[in-house]
Amino acid sequence: MNQLIPELKQLIIDSLDLEDVKPADIDAAAPLFGNGGLGLDSIDALELGVAVQKRYQVKLDANSADTRQHFHSVESLAKFISSQRPA
Amino acid sequence: MDMRILHGEGTTSVSGARGAVSRAAFRRRVHALRTALDLHPARRWALICDDSGWFGAGLLALAGGGREIVLPQAPQAGALRDIRVDAVLTDIPGAFTGMPLLAVAEPGDELDAPPAMPDDAVRIEFYTSGSSGAPKCVPKTYAQLRLEVEALERQWGSGLGVARVVGTVPHHHLYGLLFRVLWPLTAGRTFHSQMCLQPVELRAAVGTEPCVVVSSPAFLSRVQVADLPASTQVRALFSSGAPLPDEAARALGENWGRAAIEVYGSTETGGIAWRAWDGADARPWWRPIEGVAAEIREDEAGPRLWAKSGCTWRHDWMPSGDLARAGADGRFALQGRADDVLKLEDKRVSLGEMCAHLVSHPWVAEARLVLLPGKRQQIGAVVVLEAEGRAALEREGKRLLQEKLREALGTRYEALLLPRKWRFPDALPGNAMGKTEQARLLALFEAGP
Repeated sequence: MNQLIPELKQLIIDSLDLEDVKPADIDAAAPLFGNGGLGLDSIDALELGVAVQKRYQVKLDANSADTRQHFHSVESLAKFISSQRPA
Repeated sequence: MDMRILHGEGTTSVSGARGAVSRAAFRRRVHALRTALDLHPARRWALICDDSGWFGAGLLALAGGGREIVLPQAPQAGALRDIRVDAVLTDIPGAFTGMPLLAVAEPGDELDAPPAMPDDAVRIEFYTSGSSGAPKCVPKTYAQLRLEVEALERQWGSGLGVARVVGTVPHHHLYGLLFRVLWPLTAGRTFHSQMCLQPVELRAAVGTEPCVVVSSPAFLSRVQVADLPASTQVRALFSSGAPLPDEAARALGENWGRAAIEVYGSTETGGIAWRAWDGADARPWWRPIEGVAAEIREDEAGPRLWAKSGCTWRHDWMPSGDLARAGADGRFALQGRADDVLKLEDKRVSLGEMCAHLVSHPWVAEARLVLLPGKRQQIGAVVVLEAEGRAALEREGKRLLQEKLREALGTRYEALLLPRKWRFPDALPGNAMGKTEQARLLALFEAGP
């Protein structure tokens, strides 16, 4: 899971075409959406969801509350992806 | 309304550095040009003059002779390249070598001959900045201009009396042509033959006489009110072309002593409405000019203002490019350009309005917003920072600065409408007109952060 974190940071930057953001700027524990973090919006969530599913072959839950939890931060996203992959 | 200049007894029609032109002399100019035109086969004429007096005479001669009149966007030979014309009527013949042309020349002192009235059906083409960057042709008939001038005289004429008309705007755009040339000619007021670029020229042009000043926000927002002609001798100060910034409107009303009459309209619709700063904190509502009907119709861009007047096509309703909100007594408030309004992911946003909010941030001096091309629709912000903003940029870096500006906009707009790419140049690129600026702004984003 530890190497997933820098990978995910780079995936977020690339898939969302974020300018002026380096992996080191992203706090793995900080919320991705809303104030206090990257301030990503609902379209970003959509695009990031697509990118994550494509890259890691994971299935997102139809339950949006769960998905929101998974996409809360880079850390929670890494946890979700590793839980979906064979150990 | 009769055209007084063609018959009137007043002494002067045109004032200028090259001396005054009497009404009789002006009529001889028109008559001489008419006579020369009768011998010329060209049908479609570009009218390009430095001198507004000759421009007016050329306009009446061409319209009296039933010729088609073309007014290029800029009075340079290059502006003619894409506009097919048969010939040029000009007072700067050296600039148009190799083209069929009629150069103006002062006629002799022969008998006064009142020329025929302009033909109502004559077509006059104006050119404005189009959405594609290419100049856009806006055709009018002489009748439309005549009716517009009659409306202006009904609205403001009695307050102007005998006054010399001077201006800081060019005469080949609709606003300058109507206010600086055709209205004075029709009402029998003297008009100044040069466009004044500096306040000192304006003061010299009016001397101590009562005057009417035809200006624009570009001029009025840059000059000190003390440098303008005394407000006691100015019967009316008109401003058009864009809204007058609040500070400029207030400075005129409070410090100069007379509020500017702001005229709202477009080349397509002609003048629609006016307002003048009245001392209140809020800007006054726009009220339709005499004889103009204005109403708001909902379309996909939002509540769009429509207008109907003597100057609109076939005197029928025409859409404006602006969104508006209705007030009491037919008054309205403008709420940004309709073509500024984007649908981002099904959400409507006015770039003009968002830009105004951005500029209200203390760090921001000037700003422009553009829709960026790409797979996702997103807004790019080009921001010129105040000193305080530049200090923040140096202290905190570009990313944190843009986060703070996004947060400030985020109090009014949802996150997905906020600008996603930011540029902080020392100055805005290029001139402030039309869509050529659009291309220059986009180039800032193509170059990368």
